[in-house]
Amino acid sequence: MSHVSKIELEINDLETLEAACASLGLQFVRNQKTYTWYGEYMGDTPLPEDFSANDLGKCDHAVRVPGATYEVGVVRKDGKYFLLWDFWRDGGLERALGPGAGKLKQAYAVERVKREARLKGYRVQQSKSVKGIRLVLSM
Amino acid sequence: MKQIIIDITEEGEVKIETRGFTGKSCVEESRFLKELLGKELARQLTAAYYQVDGKTCVKKHLPLCG
Repeated sequence: MSHVSKIELEINDLETLEAACASLGLQFVRNQKTYTWYGEYMGDTPLPEDFSANDLGKCDHAVRVPGATYEVGVVRKDGKYFLLWDFWRDGGLERALGPGAGKLKQAYAVERVKREARLKGYRVQQSKSVKGIRLVLSM
Repeated sequence: MKQIIIDITEEGEVKIETRGFTGKSCVEESRFLKELLGKELARQLTAAYYQVDGKTCVKKHLPLCG
């Protein structure tokens, strides 16, 4: 063993996000400029960093989730993509995607690593672990 | 065998572990993954990091006084 790193995930590739949505059975809609949410910021939860209440409801692309009435907005900012969504229970997104839309972030990370690792000539093995998904890259 | 192990939780947290590398090659070899996925929050080096060509390079400081 040589070293262990913890990474804060950033979404920076739209095609991979689209593929991650497909792997979870979600519908990625390019160029949808608004996403469905409660419609009014009530001030009872913190806003995402670098976003104001006026930004909510607007997006560059959107994700439709089967069984959920609300949608996820995908917003491009400074070369990265941010996920904006309303986690109010009845909207159904947290039930489908987990806290913080973690399942979508997980699927994105898995896709991103698999695609790039194969391009670099690594063999990729995927398995389920206690805490989530494990990918093992070997030459 | 040289391996890079990536654990991704359902909360979207990512942990990267390198195995079988010696010296700083592990950092170089896994750099592309960090650049792909985001920012490195923390790094924990292990004993193999300090090895050069399979030989352990350890500096010892002996207490000479007291």
